[in-house]
Amino acid sequence: MTPSEKNGAAIAPPNGRRAKKPKKNGRPEAPSRFYGTPLPGVKLEELSGTLFVLEGTDGSGRSTQISLLTEWLESEGFAVQTMGLRRSFLVGADIDALMAENSVTRTTLSLMYSTDFFDQLERRILPALRSGLIVLADRYIFTLIARSAVRGIGRDYLHGIYEMALRPDLTFWLNVRPEIAFDREFKKAQTISYWESGRDMSLSNDLFQSFIRYQSLIKREFEYLSKRHGFIELDGEGSVADVNRVLRKRIASHLGIRSTHYQPSHALSHLWR
Amino acid sequence: MRLHPGIFHMATVLPDITVDAEAAPVKLRAAKREYPGALVVVEGIDGSGKSTQLYLLKRWLEIGGYRIHFTEWNSSPLVKSATRRGKQRRLLTPTTFSLLHAADFADRCERQILPLLHGGYLVLADRYIYTAFARDAARGCSPRWLRNLYSFAPTPDITFYFRAPLDVAVNRIVAGRPKLKYYEAGMDLGLSLDRAESFRIFQERILGNYDQMIETDHFVLMDGTVPVNKLQKLMRQILGDKVDLAQFAPNKK
Repeated sequence: MTPSEKNGAAIAPPNGRRAKKPKKNGRPEAPSRFYGTPLPGVKLEELSGTLFVLEGTDGSGRSTQISLLTEWLESEGFAVQTMGLRRSFLVGADIDALMAENSVTRTTLSLMYSTDFFDQLERRILPALRSGLIVLADRYIFTLIARSAVRGIGRDYLHGIYEMALRPDLTFWLNVRPEIAFDREFKKAQTISYWESGRDMSLSNDLFQSFIRYQSLIKREFEYLSKRHGFIELDGEGSVADVNRVLRKRIASHLGIRSTHYQPSHALSHLWR
Repeated sequence: MRLHPGIFHMATVLPDITVDAEAAPVKLRAAKREYPGALVVVEGIDGSGKSTQLYLLKRWLEIGGYRIHFTEWNSSPLVKSATRRGKQRRLLTPTTFSLLHAADFADRCERQILPLLHGGYLVLADRYIYTAFARDAARGCSPRWLRNLYSFAPTPDITFYFRAPLDVAVNRIVAGRPKLKYYEAGMDLGLSLDRAESFRIFQERILGNYDQMIETDHFVLMDGTVPVNKLQKLMRQILGDKVDLAQFAPNKK
């Protein structure tokens, strides 16, 4: 399963460097599956599975789409593994505890998230890919880079840490305006959380203003990352069914699935608004 | 929209990055001193005598009433539970081992070392980033990746590198400890089934990595086989030569 099928050339930045125009006299080199130095001890030829990433801010509908895609892929006969932030056995719970305190500093938090990410990558994702599974990632290194970058940690530093991450086969960006994200998040919890609104950054004492400013900064990082890493940008403000249709189409063509027909089961029908 | 002015002080410029394997060594930023304090660190393999010497130096300065603070590797309470869990259950890979220690160091750096340096303290550190460079590279992490990982750390004013022959250092540790710990002995690397033997091979690798940094990182080489009191005398002398101790003296400020 190579990413060179349909959209490969446009999606992957050539040669692991920042996106450059392809040379006139030839096609870009096949991209490495790592951004830079590979993780120690990984044999790339063993990784027969496929990694799809869904990125987007809070309230962009990622988790809903992952549930639906999992069901669809399973009905098509593909085994699916998922990953997300703070889900590692090693430090997932510790990050929750750190975030509940106000004493954690930005570099420490950033590195705890890196630990969480690489623990999942090495213990969950790589074994799944070795077994030929489809991995659906609910956020990936890009959210981690964006969150740290808006807090003043250098982008080159962050890219340096995550250069050992596996390059996704496809990265989808569910782009929503911060105002829409606010409506959706508020509806969910009847309030907005401390970290979602970036209150550690002292942007505004007003929660709404703070949320909008913070999410706008994150969005700007994503615009930069999208160009650099060739995201497939989707309108996250569309209906669940519309977004899901586009996702299925891109994934189906990547995996060589002919039919993209899908009707959610009764268990998931509440998501299909 | 008006943005908070402080946010982008490091991130405004889009860096021209090449993430291209081992090709280019990461340049250490020329340390621009932005603080009145000073940072003195000791490095070396286990059993090289560094902790004893730093303790004696610390006592000397404490008794003299100097403005000092002592900090040691792997002591931050914030990430202690994660480190403990990872080690007890042997969950750590070379990468997560390294990242977890970096998170721990970042906590100490941002909450202790940097504020103290800005506050005009003489900071004494038992082990510093070079421990991670030597040890994590011995585990198979890329040296270039490690240099980047710790690039937020201030460069020390003096790095004392205590060097003892491998056998001397290893015997000091093995004789004094009932049981070597799993990661301490490098058992995760599968070097040997015998812990003492694994420890020895692991320390040998670390020693080799340290030696390579003597010149690049301006280590002050200290012979760990010299009698303790003589070595301490030398250490105090070097400190006095390289750091303006009067700045940290009790009657100042």
